[in-house]
Amino acid sequence: MREDHFIVIGNGPAGSQAAFTLKEKAPEARVTIVTKEREGCCHSHLLPGFLAGSISEKKVFAISLDHYTKSGIKLRTGQSVVDVNPQRKEILLEHKETISYSGLIIAVGGRPYIPEPLLAYREHLCTLKTFQDTGTWRQLLPAADSILIMGGDLTSLAVTKSLLALKKKIYFMLTGEAFWPLRFDKALQEEVSGKLTKRGVTVLAGNKLVGIEPVRSGSCRVYVDGQKIKVDMIGAFFGLVPDIGFLRRSGLQLDRGVLVDEYLCSSHEGICAAGDCAQIYHPEIKDYWVSIGTKNARSLGKIAAVNLAGGRKKTRVDRERIFDIQGVKVNTSWWMEF
Amino acid sequence: MPGVDLTIEICGMSGDGTIAAGTLLNEALSGAGFSIIGFDSYPAEIRGFGRCVTRSRFGTSRMLALSDHTHVLISLDDQQAISRISMLGKNAKVLFDNKPAGTVQEGMSIAAHTAPDADLYGMPFTDLASEAAGTTRGKNLAALGCFTGLAGIDPRFFYTVIEKKFRAKGETVLNANLNSFNAGLTYAHTHFEDAPLVITAPAPEKKKVQRIMLSGNAAIARGALDAGLALYFGYPITPATPIMEYLAKTLPQKGGKVVQMEDEISSIGAVLGSFYAGKRAMTATSGPGLALMAEMISLGVMSETPAVIVDAQRGGPSTGLPTKTEQSDLHAAVFGGPGDSPRIVIAPTDVAECYQFTLKSFELAEKYQTPVIVLTDFFLDNRVENVAAADISGKKRVDGNIYPPKKEQGRYQRYLVTPSGISPRALPGSEGYIYPATGLEHTEAGLPDYSEPVHMQMNAKRHTKIRQALADLPPPKEFSQKGPLDLGVIAWGSSFGAALEAVLKARKKGLAVGALKVISLFPYHEEQIRQFMSRCRRVLIPELNFQGQLANLIGHLHHGDVVRFNRTTGTPLLPSEILLKIQELLQKDNT
Repeated sequence: MREDHFIVIGNGPAGSQAAFTLKEKAPEARVTIVTKEREGCCHSHLLPGFLAGSISEKKVFAISLDHYTKSGIKLRTGQSVVDVNPQRKEILLEHKETISYSGLIIAVGGRPYIPEPLLAYREHLCTLKTFQDTGTWRQLLPAADSILIMGGDLTSLAVTKSLLALKKKIYFMLTGEAFWPLRFDKALQEEVSGKLTKRGVTVLAGNKLVGIEPVRSGSCRVYVDGQKIKVDMIGAFFGLVPDIGFLRRSGLQLDRGVLVDEYLCSSHEGICAAGDCAQIYHPEIKDYWVSIGTKNARSLGKIAAVNLAGGRKKTRVDRERIFDIQGVKVNTSWWMEF
Repeated sequence: MPGVDLTIEICGMSGDGTIAAGTLLNEALSGAGFSIIGFDSYPAEIRGFGRCVTRSRFGTSRMLALSDHTHVLISLDDQQAISRISMLGKNAKVLFDNKPAGTVQEGMSIAAHTAPDADLYGMPFTDLASEAAGTTRGKNLAALGCFTGLAGIDPRFFYTVIEKKFRAKGETVLNANLNSFNAGLTYAHTHFEDAPLVITAPAPEKKKVQRIMLSGNAAIARGALDAGLALYFGYPITPATPIMEYLAKTLPQKGGKVVQMEDEISSIGAVLGSFYAGKRAMTATSGPGLALMAEMISLGVMSETPAVIVDAQRGGPSTGLPTKTEQSDLHAAVFGGPGDSPRIVIAPTDVAECYQFTLKSFELAEKYQTPVIVLTDFFLDNRVENVAAADISGKKRVDGNIYPPKKEQGRYQRYLVTPSGISPRALPGSEGYIYPATGLEHTEAGLPDYSEPVHMQMNAKRHTKIRQALADLPPPKEFSQKGPLDLGVIAWGSSFGAALEAVLKARKKGLAVGALKVISLFPYHEEQIRQFMSRCRRVLIPELNFQGQLANLIGHLHHGDVVRFNRTTGTPLLPSEILLKIQELLQKDNT
């Protein structure tokens, strides 16, 4: 009999949880994680704390690489999946290696979203999604006195908190422009703005970015509605977009993420999705919702694995816990933690 | 700035240009000012397939041995390179071709086998070469370019060596290689903006030292050339053949001759004949060839005729492991041959010593009128080091011959018994100095005589003279603190570097250990070795043979049992395994 081979694409909180659960539920099966990241499972929500020095590197990587090996999970780091073929039950890696699977979980998470008008300034914008991103921050931070934070997602607030602890001067540009999957309405914007100001942050609410001009290495002159500010770094935090470009030719039903039912099963048998990249159907509200946050991701990873291993577990989210923000259904505690 | 100490491996299929890439890498890194020790391994079969590996350890201090782990692996052929995964250290970088001709099944790519902590860098070596030069042959150069870009090394070091290597082949070939290299370099720069390796070249030496990248075999050949070698006789055998190849190109330019003989017996016979006639000659072989030469070497002993023989050891017995390293000919070199046939056996420990002691062996052979065996091994013969030019050139040739005084004309006794055992040696054709030379036992005049007193007298003479040679032979060299030692490591040949590195590391850990390098294996400096041993509570002798052949030879000089550490895997000893043994022994003593 051919052995089962479960592949998990992605090694974030959802992916790693899915892999360990699969190994637990189906100990005889082969479990492989394929991740494009070069390191282990990074808790990206801890990265702001790591920058501030309050969180150790060890804590950022909660699961040691040895633990995967000891658990019988093959972890392939630094390897990108470029295609999934549900008919042949194969994935294709960038280096042209094909791997067959009997079950697949897509848990690729998201990549930082940069609104189109800002793409022209991409080289000046620092994001903070992976551990690798911390390299740029650590390189520039010591010499940076003032930092402009653009956006307003969960990470932006955590980063602001960390930078304030490092006694940096913070400008926060809270424009209310779209950043998937969230949008600010006026009330939310005022509340966040008030909290930031109270902490000593200069909030540039409602201002529009006109241009960014590099002054010297690392420093920029930022033009905002007639005024200009000089900052040493710019952080961009506009939420995440699911990193699912490699699925375009797979035939899976996609929207912003992978569309799955309440069991996290996709349109194709043997393929589930979990974490930030999954859009999950809610029978009560008759719509798809997305989740944000490490805890949610882990929970979804576990459910996807249980179901792929033959179980039948539903995602249970009370409709009251799902925010409807301008048409996007989100399950998150989000900014209230700030 | 912390010192650099990195090991890079290039692995490919025979025909991928693996060895050529390794040579260019070594030359370029040497040009950048690093100290290098490099070692290639390739298949034994003379066919167009099989695994080729080049291993280069380079750093800012002198490299004594190969390292335990590889920090960067460049795969030119994943199927071959997969076997090298076990050598990778923590967080190793793996560069591989991520655009093979077609898709491959799971497990066929090296990416399927690396540990999670390894950093994979998929780069289209073949495509880059093809686009840059119109041929895939330059994929090794493209790979080197990728590495150079990732490591942030100044590419000019590579341009210099690429030009040096390919200039003679014409502009087209040179440009194709430069283009392939540059394509790889650009790819790395554009796809990996932050150089993930960052290898900083050392500051230029205050006093510029000219360095030459040389293999042990090339150093032996250069030593022989500088000794005034007139004739080389040999029969090809791995790993000694490169000596003949080197001399075939260089010796005729100096008026000498290289003759490929029909076998090893005729080779040593011709060497004895040349020396008998007063011309310096040499042969080089490996274990099986040395076995064939045994009888002729004893003829040299009996007839007191000089000879220089290089025994490049490989795995044995018999044909054994032709492309693997071993130190298992020591007994054969020292004792091999009929009767009591003492000869000089010296074992260089690094490339510079290959030069120095080959050169010295001619003087010793002439002065003590005996065959001298220079005992090397595959690892020493094939490894390259960037040695200071001053250490491997310009040494003065010393005529070791002791000619008979004029007063002996007409009553010359070739085998005159003297206190030193050395009898003046006349060359054939010298008027009034005619003598019979034979393999039979003989009188002082050279006449056959099997009588008891003659045989005893002549045996004693031949042994006395070899003992006398100790004065001219390199004495053991000690690397330790003064006073008593908890443990002393005695090593010889190519294993000494690993032993010394292990000892230096152990001393850094606060252990009272020392190392002793033994170069002259026969005769050996009994007193100095005994003195060192007497200061050591324990003596460890690591060797690449099964029994511990040096331990057999000198172990009796220690007041207790020496500890043997033997391995016959065909690969060089590593500092870490010797260090582990040192720690294990000392820990045992303390519990």
